[in-house]
Amino acid sequence: MAATWIRRRGATGGMRVAPSSAVLPGDAAAAPRIEGARVAGDQARVARRRRGGGPVEWALVHLAFAAALLFFLAPFAWLVTAAFSARATAYIRWPSDPTLANFRYVFEEFAFGTALRNSIVISTATMVLTTLTVALAGYSLSRLEFRQKTWFSYGVLLLQTMPLSATMVPIYGLARELGLRNSYLGLILVHTAIELPFLTWLMKGFFDAVPRYLEEAAWIDGRSKLRTWWEILLPVARPGLGVAAGLSFLSAWAEVLMVIILVDRSEMATVPLTFYRAARGEGSYMEVRYELVAAMGVLYVLPVLALFFATRKLMVRGLMGTTRGI
Amino acid sequence: MAVSAGRGMRDPLPVPLPDAGAPARPFPRRRAAWRRNRAYLAGLTPTAFLLALFFVGPAVWGVYTSFTNRALTGIDARNFRWVGLENYRYLLDDPDLPTVLFNSLVFVVGSAMLGQFVLGLAMALLLDHAEHRGYRLTPLVYAAVLLAWVNPTVVAGFQWVAMFDFYYGSMNRALGWVNLGPVNWLGEAPMLSVIVVNIWRGTAFAMLIFLGALRTIPTQIYEAARVDGAGAGRRFWDHTLPNLRHIAVLVLLSVTMSTFGTFVLIQTLTNGGPGLQTETIALYAYNTAFSSYEIGYGSTIAVLMLAINFVFAAAYLRVSRPKV
Amino acid sequence: MARIEFDRLHKQFPGQPQPAVNDLSLEVADGELLVVLGPSGCGKTTALRMLAGLEDPDAGDIRLDGRSVVGLEPRDRDIALVFQQYALYPHLSARDNILYPLKVQKMPRAERLGRVQRVADQLGLGRLLDRKPGQLSGGEQQRVALGRAIVRQPKAFLMDEPLSNLDAKLRTHMRTEIKALVRELGTTTFFVTHDQAEAMTLADRIAVMSAGRLQQLGTPDEVYAHPANLFVAEFIGSPPMNLLPVAQEHGALVTATGWRLPMPAGLDGTNGDLTVGLRPEAIRLSREPVPDGQPAQVFLTEPLGSEVIVNVRLGGALLKVRTDPQVRPRPDDVVYLTADPAGVRVFDSATGASLVAPMPATAGAAA
Repeated sequence: MAATWIRRRGATGGMRVAPSSAVLPGDAAAAPRIEGARVAGDQARVARRRRGGGPVEWALVHLAFAAALLFFLAPFAWLVTAAFSARATAYIRWPSDPTLANFRYVFEEFAFGTALRNSIVISTATMVLTTLTVALAGYSLSRLEFRQKTWFSYGVLLLQTMPLSATMVPIYGLARELGLRNSYLGLILVHTAIELPFLTWLMKGFFDAVPRYLEEAAWIDGRSKLRTWWEILLPVARPGLGVAAGLSFLSAWAEVLMVIILVDRSEMATVPLTFYRAARGEGSYMEVRYELVAAMGVLYVLPVLALFFATRKLMVRGLMGTTRGI
Repeated sequence: MAVSAGRGMRDPLPVPLPDAGAPARPFPRRRAAWRRNRAYLAGLTPTAFLLALFFVGPAVWGVYTSFTNRALTGIDARNFRWVGLENYRYLLDDPDLPTVLFNSLVFVVGSAMLGQFVLGLAMALLLDHAEHRGYRLTPLVYAAVLLAWVNPTVVAGFQWVAMFDFYYGSMNRALGWVNLGPVNWLGEAPMLSVIVVNIWRGTAFAMLIFLGALRTIPTQIYEAARVDGAGAGRRFWDHTLPNLRHIAVLVLLSVTMSTFGTFVLIQTLTNGGPGLQTETIALYAYNTAFSSYEIGYGSTIAVLMLAINFVFAAAYLRVSRPKV
Repeated sequence: MARIEFDRLHKQFPGQPQPAVNDLSLEVADGELLVVLGPSGCGKTTALRMLAGLEDPDAGDIRLDGRSVVGLEPRDRDIALVFQQYALYPHLSARDNILYPLKVQKMPRAERLGRVQRVADQLGLGRLLDRKPGQLSGGEQQRVALGRAIVRQPKAFLMDEPLSNLDAKLRTHMRTEIKALVRELGTTTFFVTHDQAEAMTLADRIAVMSAGRLQQLGTPDEVYAHPANLFVAEFIGSPPMNLLPVAQEHGALVTATGWRLPMPAGLDGTNGDLTVGLRPEAIRLSREPVPDGQPAQVFLTEPLGSEVIVNVRLGGALLKVRTDPQVRPRPDDVVYLTADPAGVRVFDSATGASLVAPMPATAGAAA
């Protein structure tokens, strides 16, 4: 039955792609095709039978592959090898004497535990708040019927393209006036706000694909609009909520600009801020020790990558709409 | 049975009935619309509130502050004055502004328009082709491009500082293999360096969009073209490219906007230096406000940024016309 | 159980040139099964949605048991609606779908489960109750949707083309089942469909709608035998009524080909162009010449098992004649047509309205 709800629209671009292409159960056909070796392998057998390339073409494609892999993976190869080296240099080298000590030093020398706790609290709270807010707003925007709706929707899109670096000065001033600096609340609210424009559109796309008769049935069965949203529509839009939750968590986990301007007390520092300072050698008499910062980087990046690649099918579709730079 | 319509022998039905006075109980349309929509309007209020607080409010605050001499600290922090257009007049005469704008232009053209856009398109075509051929490395390459994209910016900056290291960095080692270099990347070619890193970070977005667009081209078109005797090159020029044109404009605008606002990446790599060589307008606004403590003038620069960005955003909306 | 009244109901959607529902007045008696029949876009679903509270009328009134419900939320109307697409909650099992309205009413758990069990038995859903809608066939989903409606024991059932997503065989079967169920429960039912066979078999009365207006309201027999206008004449019946332009000549109706048809009573003195309507079974077909018989050429025959539809050419028109299964004229055979005097219907060609009084017994109702 789910399959009948899916309205697939034609090619769209940028911001528009993700919000308008809802991922509901059974939407497999619309998901990107390159997803893991198994699927590609299946297609490979079919495709190879259909039309194979010559050895020259094979060589050219794989030359390009090698160049791409080198370019895109080398910085990660360095990060990981450096993190396990006793004394790392800027060169990618297999650690001669692999050690886990760096990871311990990270906690001892950079108050990484506090930063980790702050990041987890802020990211989780941002995720919950963002998901609820955009689920409500996306549904409302999807169902609202009045003429000014176009302006509101375009306004939200416009905000999404607004560079944070242009508003960080006023945000700093505003947060100072409101006493939102160095507080969980300030960081949670600002991280939520950052993600709202895009995710509201994303959720609107999901709810556009949910047929109206579902909520109408619940209203007739006696439910209020709010309860219907909570009991019927949220469960139906679960894949969309997953995308919104994942993306808002990732974004809050990675965001550093707002933390830089809103936090100057070390007990409020988050992981990205701690990393940022460590990488710049702030608050230290010694020069930057690559292996320690690399170890912190591994600890910082690992959860993000694990989360992203575990849910990549959903996330890729969602992330396609991100247009703002950090 | 009180019903008469249709029962009557001479009811001239397809012709509208003469209106026998006003209909019973008119139900006001506006009240009905309000009744229908008020719950949805309520559902939008948390979002509207947060957007007002952190987007609209700061933008308005910024515009207002750009007309004052507000400072970060000192006497002008609390007792700032309205200075009218003075900041804007100063902006026009600012000797650093042309440099900063030129840097932004080079950065955007180099990393977004030439870099991410072209490399993204190339990667999409390569992966799409390789997938059709069934090459096994395809998913790995796809994941590698994505990895750089999901990676937090601060980590990317740190990784590339190491890559660019003069004595030990991998870039110079690689150049050494082919008897080139070493190059003092961040010192002597800073703009090229930040452009390379931004290409590394942002290619995935363009690639994903182009991959998605390539899939929407029906295979029958290619089959028909083959039957008509068109070679691979002809098929690409006649069918693939025209089908990507609309989406290409959108990708171009998207990557331009996101690159234009790039801040953290440049700050971690070069912090705008050496000198002003990589100081884009985003960094200039930040440094003016937080390093020179001139919030009023910093806001003026930010307003200029918003104005430039608005032009791109308006173009984007015009081209994409998202369905509301 | 309830009486439903529409009182001069009017609804026009913004941006639409024509009103969706135009001056609709009708009444559904307590316990009656009223079928609203019409082609798509005739306003029947809009009327139902206004009754459910999903749309607001622009003007006019809707009353349940004499009490106006305009402006009330759907949940305050105590009606159940079966949707065309069933609208089952996909994340809930069949049981929880049926339970849902009772849960909303905060009915005690034991009582709830008892009621669901009764409904499940009634609809033969027993072993399907633990499945999710996605694991049920269309017919089973349909039953669950019905179960969710009847478990509440609402004042009225509203059904919006509930059978149109089923295949033909299942549709006929469910038709019978719904009729039996509604009769057993005795609940007022407002049933919307575009399928005239469904309307004929189910309805206590049929309301035919077109272009937002009520065209005729009557029992299936009345609507079939005495269509109020040309629209109803053409819409009801399969094959539809044969329509022929005629002229009045000395107390008889004469077609262009000179076929003299008996003039029904009460037509004297009518002016203007007339159209005669003849149901396929109101034409008799004989192989030998008969008095007043109109010769015509057979075009082709369509045997349907229990009957045969003979298509005959008359002038430029093609008439459909229903005959016994044994009658099998060959193409190009000449046959003679006579009309059953009781089956002749006359319409004003300009307005489309019927000019023949229905039946003596109900003639006065139309004041």
